[in-house]
Amino acid sequence: MLKMTHLSKVYRTEVVETYALRDFNIDVKEGEFVAVTGPSGSGKTTFLTIAGLLETFTGGEYHLDGVEVSHLDDNARSRIRNEKIGFIFQAFNLIPDLNVFDNVEVPLRYRGMKAPERKQRIMDALERVGLASRAKHYPAELSGGQQQRVAIARALAGSPRLLLADEPTGNLDTQMARGVLELLEEIHREGATIVMVTHDPELAARAQRNVHIIDGQVVDLAEDPRFHTAYAAAAGQVRG
Amino acid sequence: MQIQPILAALRRHKAGTLLIALQIALTLAIVCNALFIIHQRLSHLSEPSGVDEANLFVIENFWGVQYSTQEASSEIKADLAALRQLPAVEDAAPSNSYPLRGGGWDNFISLTPEQIKPTTDASVYISDESLIHTLGVKLIAGRDFTPDEVRDMGTRENIHPPVVIVSKAMADKLFPDGNALGKPLYSMSAEPTVIIGIVERLQREEVNTWSAPFVNQSLIWPMRQAIPIGLYYIVRAKPGQLAAAMQEAPKALYGRNRMRIIDSHDGLLSFAQVRQRAYNRDRGMAVLLGIICVVLLAITGAGIVGLTSFWVGQRRKQIGVRRALGATHRDILHYFLTENLLISLGGIAVGVLLTFGLNLWLVTRFELRVMPLAYVLSGVVILLLLGQGAVFAPALRASRVSPVEATRPV
Repeated sequence: MLKMTHLSKVYRTEVVETYALRDFNIDVKEGEFVAVTGPSGSGKTTFLTIAGLLETFTGGEYHLDGVEVSHLDDNARSRIRNEKIGFIFQAFNLIPDLNVFDNVEVPLRYRGMKAPERKQRIMDALERVGLASRAKHYPAELSGGQQQRVAIARALAGSPRLLLADEPTGNLDTQMARGVLELLEEIHREGATIVMVTHDPELAARAQRNVHIIDGQVVDLAEDPRFHTAYAAAAGQVRG
Repeated sequence: MQIQPILAALRRHKAGTLLIALQIALTLAIVCNALFIIHQRLSHLSEPSGVDEANLFVIENFWGVQYSTQEASSEIKADLAALRQLPAVEDAAPSNSYPLRGGGWDNFISLTPEQIKPTTDASVYISDESLIHTLGVKLIAGRDFTPDEVRDMGTRENIHPPVVIVSKAMADKLFPDGNALGKPLYSMSAEPTVIIGIVERLQREEVNTWSAPFVNQSLIWPMRQAIPIGLYYIVRAKPGQLAAAMQEAPKALYGRNRMRIIDSHDGLLSFAQVRQRAYNRDRGMAVLLGIICVVLLAITGAGIVGLTSFWVGQRRKQIGVRRALGATHRDILHYFLTENLLISLGGIAVGVLLTFGLNLWLVTRFELRVMPLAYVLSGVVILLLLGQGAVFAPALRASRVSPVEATRPV
């Protein structure tokens, strides 16, 4: 479903080159629920933005659902994002000027879907996340957990092949986070491929597989000394 | 099209939306009415006067002596003879006024002596049998005055000339069936004045909006203005000799009799100068209104650019989210163009009502004509193009927002 081989992402300025991802390799099979973890600045979000075709990469290969995406133009990338990928952001990223129904409708409109089908899909998605009764509410009228459920409904409404979640419970309290996680697990059980970036070990433990990123590379935790250094630093911060 | 969600979003930004729509409405109302007034004013400028403008000039002659009617008449005849003797002069005529002068003698005209409400109004030119030839107007029916029909008009003379020459516009107004020749008209007297000739076109003295509906209604009375103040000499130069004639004429008049005043600034005017002066106000008004229109359109355009730029900046994250959810560059561009179109259409709907309201007020208050629909349609097209043009640059900027903005903190 998602395969990156020797992928690199370099940010260049006049004086310095910064590798956000370096010789990055990952292979996510269809139907997997993968948690991507790592310390701050390790490249988790860069990986997610490249995986979601929000950003281009500098080198290597990326196959998404069997398609090599490095040569696609912006329109083709937009179409793939719209048809194959569902995004769940940490900050929900709902459009505050639109009500719940209209928010869920946004990607469907860009797909050129007819109104009756859009309506059916929106109501199905809202039913699924338990918010059908809030269709006419605006995001500001909902709790954080409800807003994230709307964002999940928006991601699900287009029946994507891949769900990309960036710290989906990062802005939620424990109870709301549990609810959202249970929803993601339910979606996964129904066959969806989910890649979730998180720094929460408890959340990561609920995934089928964990992938760890340190300094822009996927590492084996048991063998890589950088993990131990990073872990020690993180532990020190917690203690401090 | 995403009209419904755009409208829903606009409802959440009422203040900015209403302000810009109101600005568009006011701009439409003012620009349409201004364009209509400009067109009306400019259409006068090219109005043909009917006279041989290329070769005509006018001398304003004030007597320096209190002449009696008889003395003034003799002086006028002698002046005309002196002018006609000049090699560059074709002919000369005395007159109380001339077309496009800006003001003069104006009379109500009736078809019967007992009529209380006059039939119409006419500019009155007082001159002799040489005026038609001097002006170069075309006599299309009847005949010119004979010398014995021309009377001297003193200060206290009773005026009821027995014969008159009228312009065709005048004849058509009085006698729409076309047989004006030989018919009587009444003006300033219960005695009839018979129409003996009709000239093709002879414009009035006034060029104001009030006189526009009867711009070519004029008549010539066979009288010599032998009053103590003075009169105008209308002089027609031979083709190509206008400058020479204008140089010679005042010298010839002063040479014959120095007891007169011909103002060095306004006393000697070519007809080109007469036309220029006559329409100076119209031209000035048109330029002023044109500038107001351009400034107003520029302000409205700048307002649209400003508001859209502000909205693009404010919604940068939102645009990134839309791009992340599958919007192409074109989708974002269309979004902002459609949003502006909807605001513009709202403003235009109100603006059309304001436009007709303002026109109605101008019609009742300043006797302006009713504005044809074409002006409103032109204004609508201008405003729509302005709106779409103004929004294009910020919309293009918005379309270039990267989808990765969706992942960045606000």
